[in-house]
Amino acid sequence: MLTSDLIRTLLPGLLLLPIAAGVALRFLDGQKARMAALSFAIAQLLLTIVIVAGGMFEVQDTAGLEALTNIREKRSGPVFAPRCVPGDPMTNGKQTFTTKFDVMPFSSGHPKIKAAQFFIGIDGLNIWLIGLAGVMLLPVVLLSWDTVTDRLGAYYSWLFLLQAGVTGAFLSFDLLFFYVCFELTLVPLLFLIGGWGPGPNRRDAARKLFLYTLAGGLMTLVGLAGTVLYVYDRTGELTFSIPKLAELIDVNMKRADEAGQASWQNAQMYLFLAMAFGFMVKIPLVPFHSWLPGAYSEAPPGVTVMLSALLAKMGTFGLLRICLPLAPDATLSVGMPLLGFLGAFGIVYGAMCAYMQTDFRRLVAYSSISHLGFCALAIVSFNSFGISGSVLHMVNHGLSTGAMFVLVGMLTRRYASSQIADFSGIWLKLPMLTFFMIFIALATVGLPGLNNFVSEVLMMGGLIDMRNTKVTGIVFAAVAGFGIFLSAWYTLTMIRTAFFGPLKEPQAAVGEVKDLTGRERFAIGPLALLCLLLGVMAQPVLDVMKRDSDRLAQVADDARLRVK
Amino acid sequence: MNSLEHTLQQAFQLAVPEVALVGVACVLFLLGTARGVNRHLAGFIALGGLAIAAISHFTALPRVPGIETVTPLLGDKFAMFVRMAAFATGAALVLFAWNECDDRRSSDYMACLLIATAGSSLVGTANDLIFLFLALELVSIPTYVMLYLPGLQSKKGQEAVVKYFMLSVMSSAMLLFGFSYIYGLTGTTNLAAIQEILPRLVAGSESTTAIIAIVFVTAGLGFRITAFPFHFYAPDVYEGGPTGTVAFLAFVPKVSGFAALLKLFAFLGSAHAVANEFVKQAMMLFWILSAITMTAGNVMGLLQNNLKRMLAYSGVANAGYMLIGLAVMPTQAYRGIDEAVVATGPEAIMFYLLAYGAMTIGTLTVISHLHSPNRPVETVDDVAGLRETHPYSAALLGIFLLSMIGLPLTAGFAGKFLLFMSALAAPAAAPMRDLFVALAVIGAVNAAIGAYYYLRVINAMFLRTSLSAPTPRRTAGPLWVTAIICAVFTVAFGVYPLPMINLSRAAVGGL
Repeated sequence: MLTSDLIRTLLPGLLLLPIAAGVALRFLDGQKARMAALSFAIAQLLLTIVIVAGGMFEVQDTAGLEALTNIREKRSGPVFAPRCVPGDPMTNGKQTFTTKFDVMPFSSGHPKIKAAQFFIGIDGLNIWLIGLAGVMLLPVVLLSWDTVTDRLGAYYSWLFLLQAGVTGAFLSFDLLFFYVCFELTLVPLLFLIGGWGPGPNRRDAARKLFLYTLAGGLMTLVGLAGTVLYVYDRTGELTFSIPKLAELIDVNMKRADEAGQASWQNAQMYLFLAMAFGFMVKIPLVPFHSWLPGAYSEAPPGVTVMLSALLAKMGTFGLLRICLPLAPDATLSVGMPLLGFLGAFGIVYGAMCAYMQTDFRRLVAYSSISHLGFCALAIVSFNSFGISGSVLHMVNHGLSTGAMFVLVGMLTRRYASSQIADFSGIWLKLPMLTFFMIFIALATVGLPGLNNFVSEVLMMGGLIDMRNTKVTGIVFAAVAGFGIFLSAWYTLTMIRTAFFGPLKEPQAAVGEVKDLTGRERFAIGPLALLCLLLGVMAQPVLDVMKRDSDRLAQVADDARLRVK
Repeated sequence: MNSLEHTLQQAFQLAVPEVALVGVACVLFLLGTARGVNRHLAGFIALGGLAIAAISHFTALPRVPGIETVTPLLGDKFAMFVRMAAFATGAALVLFAWNECDDRRSSDYMACLLIATAGSSLVGTANDLIFLFLALELVSIPTYVMLYLPGLQSKKGQEAVVKYFMLSVMSSAMLLFGFSYIYGLTGTTNLAAIQEILPRLVAGSESTTAIIAIVFVTAGLGFRITAFPFHFYAPDVYEGGPTGTVAFLAFVPKVSGFAALLKLFAFLGSAHAVANEFVKQAMMLFWILSAITMTAGNVMGLLQNNLKRMLAYSGVANAGYMLIGLAVMPTQAYRGIDEAVVATGPEAIMFYLLAYGAMTIGTLTVISHLHSPNRPVETVDDVAGLRETHPYSAALLGIFLLSMIGLPLTAGFAGKFLLFMSALAAPAAAPMRDLFVALAVIGAVNAAIGAYYYLRVINAMFLRTSLSAPTPRRTAGPLWVTAIICAVFTVAFGVYPLPMINLSRAAVGGL
């Protein structure tokens, strides 16, 4: 109980701390800004560690949820149960998994018309992503240390605001608050990429990212509002709370008669498409990916790490948190064929493109498309394996691709080129960087014992779900497997070209080229360690999310019975 | 004293604040002829006049008269909302226009501004066709002078005045023509009586005549709210007109236009029981008007290079968003007894109007602040690199533009969200329900299109470097008060929209 109260008090801090840092850093510049940003990042990391460590036990403690179990409906507790919610009204000292912080009401005093709320909490699905967000900030700040030299205060300020937006989206259990965070990340990104990007095309890249994501997001907004109002039409309850909506849809779909189910399924189809649109752009799935290579390669290295490790996850997480529970039938009938096809196509397409790239950053960018296609594919397979595998993969991909971009950033800081062909035999010159590069590359391609292997196996298990075979489940699994092979192909080709063979260096960007400095080791070391750790002992991580992923899979099983 | 007389007497007390405003305006006109009156004196007198009006609003506030069908004025919550919006805007615009005119003409300008403010405030109070028309003209006529006074010498300014004058007169004629049809149909000019009589008439053979009346009234008011295809004057007038007056034109006619539209067409809600077809036709009319207006505004906004022209088209697009609220207004009547109100069109319009006012006036203040004859700020290129030279102006302008894009935590987002909600929340029994869903989608697509040109300006300000000599540093004047108030409104209503939503809801509750 004590931990629960502590986390409840600390949870808003995850948002307030980066916002406060964002404001404070405005007024600093130069070395002071760097040091302040580092302190804030460490503080954020410590806060995250406290919350995740305490939250792990809170989330696994299902005692409070058993009280809500409905035997007659054969339901084991609510679909989503956000723990440690700030503003929980608490009945008899027990959590109610709701909040009383109203922000935007739609009726004065009508009991069934609820307001949009400031509703955050932790559960098994978001706790590791929050951890990821906290962990990634530190390498980003350290990487920016010498890759960004101009207007440091403003740069770090936007960086922390971006962090606040991402964390808010992961923490959110209110549809509107989720959308607010989801869209607000665009402003920091616009300024970070457009203002500090190293290349000449940075402004176009920033604008493209902004407009693509905004357009997708607006469609999502219509979908969200439509879902809320459709549920209101059917049940007479208007709420923006995701747990409540998931609950209402789950229960009422089961109770509805055949005609009612059919009309609801029909509406869900359109709502699913509208909601998923913004997430498909954000992930991105082919063919909505054309903003990505530009944004990833034009952004300053630190921001690229943020983009690939955290921001892309907002898309996949949105699918998981919003599309799946709020449109379960449509996920099976439309989501699986459509998103599945786009995801599978993206796996192969992204891999092929990655192989053809001549630039380090673009290669990793396309590989990201390929990996995230796999992740989206596993999410829409909509079963326990797929869901837990994809959540784990979001974390793993964040760590390994983030680390990959950190290393690429370190390499391009030393040399005036990022063309793969300009490099050869770098191992001789920079052994430690090469060691980490090979280590992370092996993690990325799914070497057993390293992190991606675990999640890829799980996701593959999710794809080979015989109940889904009528929508070519086995084919998707085959394509995904082929994609893993392709990722080894392009990654190892890149390693061979640039790091093995006789030494050939492009022109140095800064004086004499030396191996990793202490600061850089500190940036990449923990990430590599975490990759190893998650590879050898992923079970505790999976245990924490078990209850919530199983419960979501249960929603899917009920929906499978309805979808003919 | 019998009750009728009592009612009338009370009703005219309602106009005391406006009478006070016009009185102060007359003083200003007289002062304008005296020597030694400078613009600071004129400005302070104008602010004083607004203060007197506001005070008399609170002190001399009479109760709502008992017999609605006899009074030409009505002091309901809607009227009070419009009045407060008008007075607040008036004060903001006085500060805006503080240095707009030279000393000699300033008092005339301020006097016109006060009269127009009184006019827009009276639109909310009007309960009679004639009175409504007079109130609307009380907004229009001073505008001609306000357009003319500061820009006496420039050719473009003169073109703007003539264009505005001609089209404004024509729109008034159309409005009056529409009113004459309404009078012809119902035999009364009292709005409360019309709300009762018109629904019964449209059920029968008179529905064609009523449609004609609606079309003409909408055309006349469409000019004021810059709805397509009555918006053609806007870009030219915005470009050529003095910025202070443009800020006035961008907002005040929209307030009075939408207030008049809401008042006039409130009867559609009660008409559905007897004349379903007629209501559907009217809703279709507004649906089409809304969809075309926002699309046309945004698409043409894409092509603009001049900031004020861009804002003109942005105004057209925003009028289109607000028309969503008007199109869905009649659907509320189809609501079942146990169905609670989620978001109605009128309340969304009222909220969005204020949000729009804050962000548009704000944008124009910053442009006006930066502009000088030696270093004009007219095109997107002129604001390039603003972050380096004028960080605070750039930050303010950034906030306003992000609000226009509709990013969360700004008033623009809250308003757009309410409008989309009102379209999606049409009751189950209402006709054209799918079309309203489509309208929300069209709105969302339009918001994405609009983002393109707002973002161009943001990009230029923050991410590009200045192309020509930096704009000279200017001292912060009264203009800045307006800019900061607008920015505070824009952010506050976005972060915590609750009080404003409640106010808007209360205001339109009686419609």
